Amino acid sequence: MRAALTRYRVIAWIVGVVLILLVVIGMPLKYGFGNPVVVETVGQAHGFLYMVYLVAAFDLSRRANWPLKRMVLVMLAGTVPFLSFWAERRVSSLVVAEQREREQAPEPVAG
Amino acid sequence: MKRLWTPSWIARHVAMVVLVTSFLGLGWWQVSRAAAGNAISWGYAVEWPVFAGFVVFVWWREVKHALRGAPTTGESQAPAPGTGPVATEQATAGADRPRPAVRRPVRVTRVAVDDGGEDADLAAYNRYLSWLNANPGAKPEDYPG
Repeated sequence: MRAALTRYRVIAWIVGVVLILLVVIGMPLKYGFGNPVVVETVGQAHGFLYMVYLVAAFDLSRRANWPLKRMVLVMLAGTVPFLSFWAERRVSSLVVAEQREREQAPEPVAG
Repeated sequence: MKRLWTPSWIARHVAMVVLVTSFLGLGWWQVSRAAAGNAISWGYAVEWPVFAGFVVFVWWREVKHALRGAPTTGESQAPAPGTGPVATEQATAGADRPRPAVRRPVRVTRVAVDDGGEDADLAAYNRYLSWLNANPGAKPEDYPG
């Protein structure tokens, strides 16, 4: 669980930074100054990085036994510039709090 | 099968179909752009079908989870008889929380259950200890029993 959370946090941070590069630097360069090189390279990379983000978010949601709605919201949060960082912090604190709760009452193996 | 046709599930099926068709449509649009000479579009033409496939994967996994999870919730509420006081107590504590699909084994410290039957050796040893306690200073070889 801790490892899945770390994987999610790392890729969420990378995707968040790349997305901001794309929106803050790439798009003004392309649509303001007619230089599409940043959008072409970073944009392409962002698509594939976002796939990794989706897989990490899915893996984490499966381990943490999230409802579908929360998983979809976390996945969508990765597409919004700046909001993705807030979502990552929110997810981290939530997962840690839920895990602490679970550790206090361990589940039986029988049943 | 009926539980996959509740309103919320129909909404999920519709969302899946809409997302997959639009993602595949976007992919096809990128293919046409790439064919028109925009080389960077080949990458996007690959990415969109992958996202469509991911939507199908999540949808399928939810369907399987719903089909498998629903009948087991009834039996998980009632702990099996004879699992001992410790296990029963923990099972009732965990019954109200959602159960994860795959659970790690949890080591439970077992406590000896006093079922009324006395162990003969243990009883004899306890009698010996109480004799020692009642006769301070006595040597073990003086024990009459």
